[in-house]
Amino acid sequence: MHATETWIFRILVLGFTAAFAAQVWTRARLILRARNNVHVRDEETGRRLLRFIVEVVFQSRTIAERPAVGLAHLGVYWGFTAFALYTGVEFLAGLGMADFTGTRWFHLYALALVPFSVAVILGISGLLVRRAIVRPAALGDHVSGESVLIGFFILTLMITFLLAFTWETGLAARVNWWVHAMVILGFLVLIPDSKHFHLVLSPLTVYLRSPGLATVPNLDFEQEQVGLETLADVERKQVLDAFTCVECGRCQVNCPAHGTGKQLNPKTLILQNEEALLARRLDAKLADVFGAKVLWQCTTCGACEAQCPVGIEHLPLIIGARRGLASNGEAPAALAAVYNHLERRGNIWGLGADLRQKFVQSAGVEIFDAARHEYLVWLGCAGAFEADFQKSLRSLFDILRACGVTFGVLAKERCTGDVAKRTGNEYQFQELARANIEDFTAAGVKKIVTSCPHCLRTMGTDYREFGFTAEVIHAASLVGALTRTMAVPGAGYVTFHDPCYLGRYAGVTEEPRELLARFGAEVHEPERHGANPFCCGAGGGLLFEEHEEGRRISQERFEQLQRTGAPTIVTACPFCSIMLKGALASANTQAAFVDLISFVDGRMKSAAPAGAQRP
Amino acid sequence: MILVIAEQQGGTLNKSSWETIAAAQQAGGPVKVAVIGADTAAAAAELAAADVAEVLRVEAPALSPYTLDGFVSAIGQVVAAEQPGDVFLPHTYQTRDFAPALAVHLGRALVTDCVATRQAEARRLFVRPVFQGRLLADVLVEGQALATFQIGAIRADSLVRGAAPAPVRTVPVAVDAGAIRQKPEAPFREAKQAVDLTQAERIVAVGRGIKEMEKVALAQQLAAAMGAEVGASRPICDAGWLPMDRQIGSSGQTVAPKLYLALGISGAIQHLVGMKGARTIVAINKDPEAPIFEVADYGVVGDLFEIVPAVIKELQG
Repeated sequence: MHATETWIFRILVLGFTAAFAAQVWTRARLILRARNNVHVRDEETGRRLLRFIVEVVFQSRTIAERPAVGLAHLGVYWGFTAFALYTGVEFLAGLGMADFTGTRWFHLYALALVPFSVAVILGISGLLVRRAIVRPAALGDHVSGESVLIGFFILTLMITFLLAFTWETGLAARVNWWVHAMVILGFLVLIPDSKHFHLVLSPLTVYLRSPGLATVPNLDFEQEQVGLETLADVERKQVLDAFTCVECGRCQVNCPAHGTGKQLNPKTLILQNEEALLARRLDAKLADVFGAKVLWQCTTCGACEAQCPVGIEHLPLIIGARRGLASNGEAPAALAAVYNHLERRGNIWGLGADLRQKFVQSAGVEIFDAARHEYLVWLGCAGAFEADFQKSLRSLFDILRACGVTFGVLAKERCTGDVAKRTGNEYQFQELARANIEDFTAAGVKKIVTSCPHCLRTMGTDYREFGFTAEVIHAASLVGALTRTMAVPGAGYVTFHDPCYLGRYAGVTEEPRELLARFGAEVHEPERHGANPFCCGAGGGLLFEEHEEGRRISQERFEQLQRTGAPTIVTACPFCSIMLKGALASANTQAAFVDLISFVDGRMKSAAPAGAQRP
Repeated sequence: MILVIAEQQGGTLNKSSWETIAAAQQAGGPVKVAVIGADTAAAAAELAAADVAEVLRVEAPALSPYTLDGFVSAIGQVVAAEQPGDVFLPHTYQTRDFAPALAVHLGRALVTDCVATRQAEARRLFVRPVFQGRLLADVLVEGQALATFQIGAIRADSLVRGAAPAPVRTVPVAVDAGAIRQKPEAPFREAKQAVDLTQAERIVAVGRGIKEMEKVALAQQLAAAMGAEVGASRPICDAGWLPMDRQIGSSGQTVAPKLYLALGISGAIQHLVGMKGARTIVAINKDPEAPIFEVADYGVVGDLFEIVPAVIKELQG
């Protein structure tokens, strides 16, 4: 390489690197000034590393939702990684610092890269066709010129790499080398201000993502924390997330609010955060950045976060902003009534404790006594007050009795605080949680079974932060374990609606299906099921917000379930049951609903006529 | 002597004024009633029917419309002139607005939301609920009190009427309009809802069991025969079979009629929370498992298309 050429290259590298660094610094400053909410505990390191390998190295999430696109991306990603050293060596040589390009191992390395370059060419060509020609809705309304440009950059890099094998010396070789190098430098300066910044940040965000879905740590009132009010309050991981978003739209496609014509779009939310941060609108209220209405349209189903391939956590941002609003008394009117009910009566509907007592008496259940009872059956608001869901509880009692499991219920219960937590009324949530945990401790409770997935999540996950250690399981899991040896064939076709808080949050997807199969039902799966169900519309406090923008989420889900052709819809959550039955009432069509536990109970009773011994 | 501040607007007395006068009569001792405004003649004449020592007309042009500063100034002058013992007020929105400022102006203790008074060792105790009504506290005031009385706590019909109208006297007060800091705008009136089901004594409510829009007329006939209003559960209003303002439930109106007749309503919890306060609930539904029967006082398992026409016939016959 000519000395002048080397000097020109040095100046160019310096210039482009400075332009890259300046843009990174703008973002790094915003990340560093945010309150740190990333706390990686030592015992989590193994799990986080494993996740890093599965999700970053093997791109599991990228592939899971869109296999063809994901594999194309995997090819590009591995190609890039494999080329890192090649580019490094070429740049060292170009800068005149050290030249290994003539070594034998470098030639072997370059040869080994050929299959990778082919993978990249195939991958990026496929992605370019999809982006520029197929144009799926998830990628937005217009074709991103920058993304197309970068696609061609990558293609050029691979072609120039391959051409270098034919043109080893001479003018053609120099031109080829310069094209390759300049494309890399051009790419470099485009990275920070585009979705391609995920190249740099996503390994970090995937590693730093909370171990569980929708992790929203308790507010510390001693520190006068009130949630996120302005953009300045947005926490470090959320700022990092904003710059990492790759705009793939998996969150948007899976969001039930967006899918039913509401204004909320999780992808837009993250991009609005990025835009406002870069504009340094730090004093802007989050309700103005995102729109207050939008923040209350989230059912907290978790589909966005669970699908995000770059580890973005949407729910801490949404619930954090809700906390900021709730702390200032700006929660919607429908929720104000619920908070009032929780405050006065300890349940979401504001009903009198006498109704619960009447149910407990009529069901013949004993008050929990640690000396005699293994399980505490937690009724929850629905079990205590909703006549329809009480049938599910009666079934659970009968199954437990039949299987010889000892259990009792608390003399008095109050709401676990699910609605309060998800809607940002943190103070009320913590009051309810502490009071409940005190009751559990006083009663010596070690094992809790509940039929409500929301109670399961709140007690089984959110209460852990208070040092609560009792085992909490959903009725489907317990009944599943108790009936393992049974088989009652011939129940016909059903479809099963996975509750978000059971399937997605708790990962309980197999037990319900095993139970249905064991008791003779053939499951016709709806389009969204298992760990990625479509919400019923009730979560996140929206059970109480009956005036929905666009279509009702419950209506949409009900139709999805109807399309399976199964005459019976099986549910496993009181909220889902309320919403979907409401949708049926408005739909002017026929459908039968049955609760999962009631289904099992009915099948067990039909197999063993009254009086007969059951296992 | 107890001074009661009656409340009037445009010559119409606020009914809670009678309750507060009754509270003063029951507390013992002579009672005077003051009524404040630009023109209080009509209200004063009405108030004179009570068995009280005197009715005071406290008038100044600047006292209409109501302002906090105007009322504090006027009542302050009356109290200075009449030197009453305790001053009683009805716990209205208007009182809530000016009473704290008045208490500061007069240097008196303010006891709010009282439900009764009682005597103990020749001292007057004010009884008021605390802890959201779970306990009643007796409040003893050093010096003379300013006390507001919860609306509905004392029965207006326990008021003692005088044999002859009480004397009415005008108390001159000077209220400087320029010193009033509040500038009231025209009163805001919420758009009147076409149907106010909350005031209905009887309601016939329709649910999805009515099956078709045309059949809603059947419920309307029954309601007409019973002198009842028609309400509905959400699916009916969703479908547009009845207007939204007929909806009962958590996102509609919350009602508490004497009689609630539920036709073909399954009783989803969102509906139940809107009508559980009804005194008597009668449910007609084909499904014996319907949750509505859990809250119904009378339940009929059957076809509403057979039952309702028979009931209409019976009511009309």
